[in-house]
Amino acid sequence: MGHDTAEWVYVGVICGILAWVGADSWYVEKLVDDVPKDAEVIKVTAQQWFWTFEHKDGTKEVGQLHLKKGQPYKFEITSKDVNHAFNMPDWVIMQDAIPGRINKAWFVPDQVGEFPIQCREYCGLLHYNMRGTLYIEDNK
Amino acid sequence: MKTTSIQSMKSILALLAVSLTALLVLPLVNLADAATGEKEYVKLRNEIWNLFFRMTTAAFVVGAVVSGTIIWLVWRFRESHPKNKAPTKWETGEAAH
Repeated sequence: MGHDTAEWVYVGVICGILAWVGADSWYVEKLVDDVPKDAEVIKVTAQQWFWTFEHKDGTKEVGQLHLKKGQPYKFEITSKDVNHAFNMPDWVIMQDAIPGRINKAWFVPDQVGEFPIQCREYCGLLHYNMRGTLYIEDNK
Repeated sequence: MKTTSIQSMKSILALLAVSLTALLVLPLVNLADAATGEKEYVKLRNEIWNLFFRMTTAAFVVGAVVSGTIIWLVWRFRESHPKNKAPTKWETGEAAH
């Protein structure tokens, strides 16, 4: 063993861990970016200070969203006025809603129940109250 | 004394090799398991939370290694450490000859 072996081992270990951190994050990012082909599109429109959801058959819901368990959904998110952020904390979904731009997010609900939807970007006086409810129902 | 330090270095290297191998192999085993099942979608929130916990573990490991090394350096090379009682060959001037 040379006089500097321990130092090189130290450098190697740190570089190894950092390389693994980068590779693992990149892999998971690719994984969660990949929207399933059979995902149903829900158009999400934000405006001061409520959410509108449009299903693929054209029906609209305001301030609430009814989805089926086990069905993949892709959200196309935009805004009519200022910047907002579409957030469903229980499902680890958060995406900016920007005027003139369509951002995407997706998920597959695997649990029935009621979950909060909220705006996560300060958007004006009633930002705190820009909430909605996600209802996930059994797909039977 | 030298043999002991080489042995301890070898065990540290072995431990690191085992840990890094486990970190690489476990996700692959997980993937292989997932491939055998019926049509299953990626569970987004599980993936993201798992990534968060793995990254936290990595951050704490790096933190422990770096701060542990600094603590050991300060402790080992303090003036009052028994091994630092005798002047080094550089201090006595022997190294110059």
